[in-house]
Amino acid sequence: MSRRLLTLAAVLALGSIAVLCGKRLEAIPRADVLGKQLLYLPTPEILRLASLGNQGLMADLLYVWSIQYYSQFALDEKFLYLETVFDLVTDLDPQYFDAYRVGAMIMSLQKYGDPAEHKAAIVRLYDKGLRSIPDSWELAEVAAWDAHLVLNDRELAVRWMKMAAERPGAPPEVKRVYGRWRDDIHGWTIEDSIAYWEEVVAEAKRKPDVNLATSHLYDSYVTLDRRRLDPLLVQFRQRTGKCPGSWQEVVERGLLAEAPIDYLGNPYGIDPASCALVARKRIRWD
Amino acid sequence: MRAVAAIAHNTFREALRDRVLYLFLGFAVVLLASSKLFGLLTVGDEGKVIKDLGLAGIQFFTMLIAVMMSVLLISREVDSRTIYNILTKPVRRWQFLIGKYLGLLATVALNLALMTAVLLAVTVVYLGEFDAGLLFAAAMILLEMALLTAFATLFAVLTRPMLGTVFTLAVFVIGHVSEDIWVLTKHVNSGLVRPLVAALYAVLPNLERFNFKSEVVHDVGISSGEVALTVAYGLAYTAMVLVLACARFRARDLV
Repeated sequence: MSRRLLTLAAVLALGSIAVLCGKRLEAIPRADVLGKQLLYLPTPEILRLASLGNQGLMADLLYVWSIQYYSQFALDEKFLYLETVFDLVTDLDPQYFDAYRVGAMIMSLQKYGDPAEHKAAIVRLYDKGLRSIPDSWELAEVAAWDAHLVLNDRELAVRWMKMAAERPGAPPEVKRVYGRWRDDIHGWTIEDSIAYWEEVVAEAKRKPDVNLATSHLYDSYVTLDRRRLDPLLVQFRQRTGKCPGSWQEVVERGLLAEAPIDYLGNPYGIDPASCALVARKRIRWD
Repeated sequence: MRAVAAIAHNTFREALRDRVLYLFLGFAVVLLASSKLFGLLTVGDEGKVIKDLGLAGIQFFTMLIAVMMSVLLISREVDSRTIYNILTKPVRRWQFLIGKYLGLLATVALNLALMTAVLLAVTVVYLGEFDAGLLFAAAMILLEMALLTAFATLFAVLTRPMLGTVFTLAVFVIGHVSEDIWVLTKHVNSGLVRPLVAALYAVLPNLERFNFKSEVVHDVGISSGEVALTVAYGLAYTAMVLVLACARFRARDLV
């Protein structure tokens, strides 16, 4: 009996020491200097084999782990193997929309290292996603807004937004943003812009979409008309020494066959201060 | 046919008495708990995680039933000597074996149906959507399990229960990695390895052909031709394995 009690007491005492030591050790913070958790990161081939047909679940587990892992980092720390990890997740499940979006977001947050390298990694990740999910206008749109707002690269933003606008199911908003950005960077001729907006107007089904697209089409036509009509105002001023009060005066001088009207059939005006064409957009929004 | 149905019915009832449906309860608890947990941990579409987890769970738990039950398929009848009683009646050996197979498959199917119902309920409650694609993915898992159960039946006839379990598990693993191994051998320059792997790849079952989980989770279209071919592949392979099992069982000395 006493031997049993002695054994029990010894087990309890040793167990208590082990538990107490363990608790004290847990309280000592240890930095993951070498990125230990990442040292044994397997290759996609091995993970694919080990998943026995559940690569999607494997990608989920790795994705959830990566979010927890990288949320421990301060922004000015080196984000160890970040691109490798998200490459692995997207190799396992190439259609994992969130992995591209969140991976790019985490890459853009880090402040340590060369921003150009971070940008290149983001572009690689998005390009991989856009190749892997060729029907997703959503991913192309997310990539385009990131390029616009985070990477400050308008050319890239326009390229990805074009991709979004051309993909099946893209809503009118995306098509309008693409057209607007393309207009803003003068990325096409005014004739191409008009042809694009006419297409967007023709495709629009809801009244607000038709109106908004018509507004952009109107602006493009005004730009085209301005190129033709503003030089006539300059000619008029050279001949008469003053700016015409109306387009009728320009017609009477023989510079124009008839008073010009805008895309919506309303007459153009003339700004006396700058002596330039004035367009008054009148679209019924109700 | 009545003999086959009677044996299948009996095998099914026996499985239910063995509390096999507890696995379904285990699945339900795991899925409900992990769905909530993953919902908290993930960023973005938690629906994908829930569906991935649910379909993987269904496949894993049904595979467990097919593998574990195969141990008892024939050996229990021999040990308890009930097989002699049955075979003295106007029941042929192949009828006995097919009845056993169908009973086991019915158990697998019932569990799979209950687990799928839980998964659908979880998606409706957590995500507010009824994804009919999950039913299709579950049906394909059932087809995979029909083939695996056929292998379990063959091994139950061919070898001892423990070895049968190991062999059935091996078929499950090989069936899922054979395609990858075939792809990986493209990088091997040895003259002998590739033809050998090619021969094995052609003969061994490719269980990845029944794997439509990613397509369903990502809502990617699947052609009806591919589905029809998959069903034909599964049924033909299953029938072939069962014919082999029946042939071996006919020649087996049960004394």
